[in-house]
Amino acid sequence: MSEKDNGENLEEEATYEDENEQKPEERSHVESSKEKEQEAVPMTRKRPEPKPPSQSAATEKSTADTPKVSDSPAAQTGWGYWGSWGKSLLSTASATVATVGQGISNVIEKAETTLGIPSPSEISSETKDATRGGENSDDNSADEVADGSSFPIAGALGVLSTISTAVQSTGKSVISGGLDALEFIGKKTMDVIAEGDPGFKKTKGLMNRNSTLSQVLREAKEKEEQQTATEVTMATEKKAHYGLLFDEFQGLSHLEALEMLSRESESKVKLVLSALSGEELDTLKEEMEQLKEAFSLAEFFEEEEEEKKGDEEFTKEVTELFSELHISTKPDKLITVRTSAHEWIAQFNSSLPKEEKESEDNQEVEAGDGDHDAKKSVEDIHAFAIRSLAELTAYSIEMFHKTAALFLHGQKEEVTATDRAKSLSQLTIVLCKELSTFSKEFTTCLTVAGVKEKADVLNPLITGVFLEASNSASYIQDAFQLLLPVLQISLVEARTELSQQ
Amino acid sequence: MAKRMDIGESALTDEDSATMATAPYNYSYIFKYIIIGDMGVGKSCLLHQFTEKKFMADCPHTIGVEFGTRIIEVSGQKIKLQIWDTAGQERFRAVTRSYYRGAAGALMVYDITRRSTYNHLSSWLTDARNLTNPNTVIILIGNKADLEAQRDVTYEEAKQFAEENGLLFLEASAKTGENVEDAFLEAAKKIYQNIQDGSLDLNAAESGVQHKPSAPQGGRLTSEPQPQREGCGC
Repeated sequence: MSEKDNGENLEEEATYEDENEQKPEERSHVESSKEKEQEAVPMTRKRPEPKPPSQSAATEKSTADTPKVSDSPAAQTGWGYWGSWGKSLLSTASATVATVGQGISNVIEKAETTLGIPSPSEISSETKDATRGGENSDDNSADEVADGSSFPIAGALGVLSTISTAVQSTGKSVISGGLDALEFIGKKTMDVIAEGDPGFKKTKGLMNRNSTLSQVLREAKEKEEQQTATEVTMATEKKAHYGLLFDEFQGLSHLEALEMLSRESESKVKLVLSALSGEELDTLKEEMEQLKEAFSLAEFFEEEEEEKKGDEEFTKEVTELFSELHISTKPDKLITVRTSAHEWIAQFNSSLPKEEKESEDNQEVEAGDGDHDAKKSVEDIHAFAIRSLAELTAYSIEMFHKTAALFLHGQKEEVTATDRAKSLSQLTIVLCKELSTFSKEFTTCLTVAGVKEKADVLNPLITGVFLEASNSASYIQDAFQLLLPVLQISLVEARTELSQQ
Repeated sequence: MAKRMDIGESALTDEDSATMATAPYNYSYIFKYIIIGDMGVGKSCLLHQFTEKKFMADCPHTIGVEFGTRIIEVSGQKIKLQIWDTAGQERFRAVTRSYYRGAAGALMVYDITRRSTYNHLSSWLTDARNLTNPNTVIILIGNKADLEAQRDVTYEEAKQFAEENGLLFLEASAKTGENVEDAFLEAAKKIYQNIQDGSLDLNAAESGVQHKPSAPQGGRLTSEPQPQREGCGC
């Protein structure tokens, strides 16, 4: 396992530097041209990966020893201690995690190829194996916009259409609408991990018990916190740290709480199963298998209908699916944040024609309407996009957590666990599609607002939105998977109640 | 809304978005707290008063657990309190037990106007002792101290109960805010003291404390506690 699998390098800057330190002679020529982009998007990052602490120590050491690294090595070392909560757990799991890490880097490579994002080898033949950095995609879209910049509108559309052409040319059938396929990366990640590591198949996703998603996300957030605390950054950059925002919307806490419920349910299920035998065990196992099938999110691979959904439709769909769960809570927060984000986008879009017609000083007139003025900078749009994604994801996870708590409180079941699983799986799909829609809408806003911006300013922002949307989708899917043991135990308990009657 | 602290050099002109996103991140410790106790004793209201400095008159029942965070200062150290406000309803008891793990502090709340909530304390205490680590600091809080006329549990008997069981004790009012700040602070002081004298091992699993040694100790920060995010989902 090489050092570039290190999950701590979540920030692009960190990834970049880390790679830099491994192959200084290879990377140095790219450095100057990239630096600007790196600074522009501290928020663009890969999905966090689990990693053994032993490795992090090694990396941190070498980071500190490398004179090339510009930002404080002392700060980097600190995180070793910071993550000590999960330390003991992680070290016992280092073997699994190592394999997983490798799997993920393969997946990212695969995903990038699938999406038509050129690998560094295409950009620069010397950086052949540096496939980890998000700068790949930056470069790609940078080229795209540079090409189209003389025709502002065509250029804006060009970003999307060119990429989608590239995507189609890879021969992969998954993508029908261009970049919306990003939402499937999370799912694909799991599958490829499972492919590469049969032992991991059972746990699916990143949820082996030794390195939970919340732990991984916590480390990511802490890294962002560290950066925010030590660096003097621009206010706009601070606003757009996904991990920090996700935590402040209590996404991390709800995820941790959900993990606790999931773990406890899992051990209860094991206990019950170990006490059963013969026919009783077989029946239960069969039912649990059915339940598991509902968690496979198979629909994800079906062709998507490209129908544009109205504003009420999401609300309607989510409300209906939620009511099928027969629990005493409603996903109000989720719907509210989603609706207000949509209104924001609509407001932005409606302000556009005006902006084009009127001369620039006339825009002042609209500025009176609070933050709904027409003078939104690309940074503002980006910040709002990242914030909305973080908020939407946090509330989705909160919803899953509340759902789990209500499933477990032991009231008489009105719906079967399998039916609930089906509704929840449908809900997960709706949420992920919504994230994909948002990423497209936000990036369209960005491209429209940023016609006058340079590509190296605009494109990192666009990439950032797409990446965080894709990360969001995989967090939601992982959180959904945590509900499986919860439904399993409620299924088991429902059965025991039946047999007692 | 209470004043914000700014950790960066840059001016924070954008009020609404800055409130959340530029909250200070340079704290040295995170303490996990849980708030436990019977339904309706005012757990969520205490949290709300602590994080928002407001009284929430009409708080819905908590489902499972809600969260609140605030950064406080103890002996010049910035500490982020990550507070888990558990559901008090009996039907959630099994669920909320799952949340105790890894708590550095527990606020065990009863209602001074309802004797039954006081009588149930031993059961809550048993859970707290069994499901947390031996170093978890438990503070007993008699809430609704503003309702003196309806008092059903005397200060003295609760004080005695606390002493017998080695608990910190305060009477507080989520409505007036009396002693609310202190309740959270006293527990934090005790936890911090345990860290300082070595009785709480930060490396132990589930100590409930995370330490961030490399965090800069911002000299220009005010010492005013920072309300961050409200915990109750209402």
